[in-house]
Amino acid sequence: MGSWAKPFTVQVSDADLELLHKKLELATFPDELEGAGWDYGAPLADVKRITEYWRDKFDWRKTEETINQLPQFTTEIEVEGHGSLNIHFVHQKSAAENAIPLLFVHGWPGSFLEVRKLLPILTAASPDQPSFHVVAPSLPGFGFSEAPTKPGFGGYQHAEVLNKLMLSLGYNEYVYQAGDLGHVLGVYVANAYGHKHLKAWHTNMPTYRAPTFWSNPLLILEIFTNKAVSQTLEQASRTWKKGGGYYMVQTTVPQTLAYSFADSPDGLLAWIYEKLARIVDDYHWTEDEVLEWISIYWFSRAGPGANVRIYYELTGGNKHDMFEGTKWTSVPLGTSYFPKEPIRFPKSWACLIGKVVFQAEHDKGGHFAAHEQPEKLAGDLRMMFGKGGPAYGIVPGKDGYA
Amino acid sequence: MATTTERPFTLSVPPAELELLQKKLELVRLPDELENAGWDYGAPLSDIRRLVARWRDGFDWHKSETEINKLPMFTRDIDVDGFGTLNIHYVHQKSAVKNAIPLLFVHGWPGHFLEVKNVLPHLTAISGDRPSFHVVAISLPGFGFSEAPKKSGFAGRQYANVFNKLMLSLGYEEYVYQGGDWGHMLGAHVVYHYGHKHLKAWHSNMPFYRRPTLFSNPLLTLEEHLPTQAARVAVEKLTHWRQKGIGYYTEHATKPQTIGYGLSDSPAGLLSWIYEKLVSWSDQYPWTDDEVLEWISIYWFSRAGPAASIRIYYEMTGGNTHDTFEGTARTTVPLGISYFPGELLLPPKSWMQMVGKVVFESEHDKGGHFAAYEQPEKLADDLRRMFGRGGPAFGVVHGHEGYD
Repeated sequence: MGSWAKPFTVQVSDADLELLHKKLELATFPDELEGAGWDYGAPLADVKRITEYWRDKFDWRKTEETINQLPQFTTEIEVEGHGSLNIHFVHQKSAAENAIPLLFVHGWPGSFLEVRKLLPILTAASPDQPSFHVVAPSLPGFGFSEAPTKPGFGGYQHAEVLNKLMLSLGYNEYVYQAGDLGHVLGVYVANAYGHKHLKAWHTNMPTYRAPTFWSNPLLILEIFTNKAVSQTLEQASRTWKKGGGYYMVQTTVPQTLAYSFADSPDGLLAWIYEKLARIVDDYHWTEDEVLEWISIYWFSRAGPGANVRIYYELTGGNKHDMFEGTKWTSVPLGTSYFPKEPIRFPKSWACLIGKVVFQAEHDKGGHFAAHEQPEKLAGDLRMMFGKGGPAYGIVPGKDGYA
Repeated sequence: MATTTERPFTLSVPPAELELLQKKLELVRLPDELENAGWDYGAPLSDIRRLVARWRDGFDWHKSETEINKLPMFTRDIDVDGFGTLNIHYVHQKSAVKNAIPLLFVHGWPGHFLEVKNVLPHLTAISGDRPSFHVVAISLPGFGFSEAPKKSGFAGRQYANVFNKLMLSLGYEEYVYQGGDWGHMLGAHVVYHYGHKHLKAWHSNMPFYRRPTLFSNPLLTLEEHLPTQAARVAVEKLTHWRQKGIGYYTEHATKPQTIGYGLSDSPAGLLSWIYEKLVSWSDQYPWTDDEVLEWISIYWFSRAGPAASIRIYYEMTGGNTHDTFEGTARTTVPLGISYFPGELLLPPKSWMQMVGKVVFESEHDKGGHFAAYEQPEKLADDLRRMFGRGGPAFGVVHGHEGYD
């Protein structure tokens, strides 16, 4: 059981801010091939523009103030074999006492801030919609949470942190929403704490290990008979071939990458911005928005090099996929499909993850669904957990209605 | 008569650049590291911390520069169809033996022209019964002190064009070639375009090619499955490569610009990205800190900047859509291969027959990816045996047999 949560405010030191600015003054850019566009990676004009804005215009203190409007806390969580980690999280309760406790888990290159737009919608008390008490942590090594200090902090260790966090807040039973690595960790939480604590969960990136002919012959045959299925797989494969470089580096040599991240603001910016800009659906990032996002990484408690280790730990250094050691569970699962999510599975494959009770498909939205399409995502959760929905009343005594 | 654009080259990094580097080193921010990480997660923090401190406080670039400038270096303009003129940097050391064999030495990534340094005296020396060479060691376009192409599409044919034109411009109508890493892969392109006519024979210390298929070379596909030591090593290295070694390659081949920002802005970032390879790809080579820092400095102070050198991966693979041998085919130009145990991949020896007409093979018990640098005598010896009297490639260059 964790100790009591302490209120937390983001307070970057003057020294850290000064160092950043000194570095920005000395920012040194590469050249670029003529007409490169996005073909070779993040375009020079974009990275230069955003870096110069960072140097000259971006007001971190003002941004800090805005972030601190979110109710944030830290608490100590013990993890077997890894000691105690100080975990940072947003905790917004609904006015409705019987709101459903919901754990929102970000991924990479995301952060706890991805919950921001969802909060007012999910926590609004109403007789017509279910509402939620929302908990959105910084994953260990991300944002303002401490990082593990020893190797081997894998999926089940993360799940332990997440589950213990909810228990420490008095939420013995809860639901879960995530995409990206948050989805991957959801599989672990479902495996370790499904039914007992995790009552149902929702993902906007429904993937798992691919089926084999032996495990699921019908799904494999479908690849040959169903054009939609084969097209989804082909597209996903093409996208992966072009965009999967980051994964190959992060799963094998995260430490080597860490030096650039820790030392070069625009190096960090470019690596992350390349994803922010490309895996969204017609979402216009302002410079302030991008820089707020990057700043969470630059000023993160464990430093920007720590977060990429999760890729190594979840895959055993690229020995296996991220789901190693997990299985299908019967914990009710909701899935939402956004058209520009690059990491996709055919819809028929969602049943490999868990017991699918809810499925929604949208015509707009990309990888960062909670940030790009908060109303659509919140709408899905309300449908899934609301009266008449497939997961209504899944948390006994907390059906979410005022 | 065309006037030559060849100019002697003296390396002289401007004070402003040295100052900027120093300022950045003083502002360095290092990441943390997991306990007992060793090399498991990448370049260890203690190594990088020590190297950065040395770079900032003790490493004497001027001393390095003075040493480097003892090499006979030049630049000249080379016209490349569709890409305009590139000013190319190279070392050109003639042997005292007039009929020495002209040899083009081609580096790779994260290598550079200086890799020729240790092997140069052995190759150019006069030595009785062993052949001598006139050595040209080029900085690849975008590396060292050569200009980089400005447009996309600069690939195998273009590199071959630059190499051949350089050798011709130096008066070497016929020549031989030695390379590893990109030097090996580009060798396949040069030999395809200029083999026999100009490139008379070539040697590689990186025995790599595309995998045989049941259609192309059915018998070769069986080799890896034989219960031999060689087959076991081949499979082990390939597995390790696919699992652990392929990160940088994938990023380079798909997003060279993205990785380029950190490499251009952070000395520590550039250092670690390259140092990790210097150590893991060499065979227990006892790198000194200053040796490493000199190596990295060539990248940091390179003419086109460190990001430009990464693009070769993208251009040569069509953004990771094909292999680096695309556009080549096997030739009958005599080929020599040296096998060093620390090399990244050691496919079955029979595979090199797919690359070319193997006339020379040599196997060593020590040495890694940077063979010319790590094991200069062994490599020089291999070249002398391949090209010397009684050797399988003796006299390939008319009038330049390597002896006076």
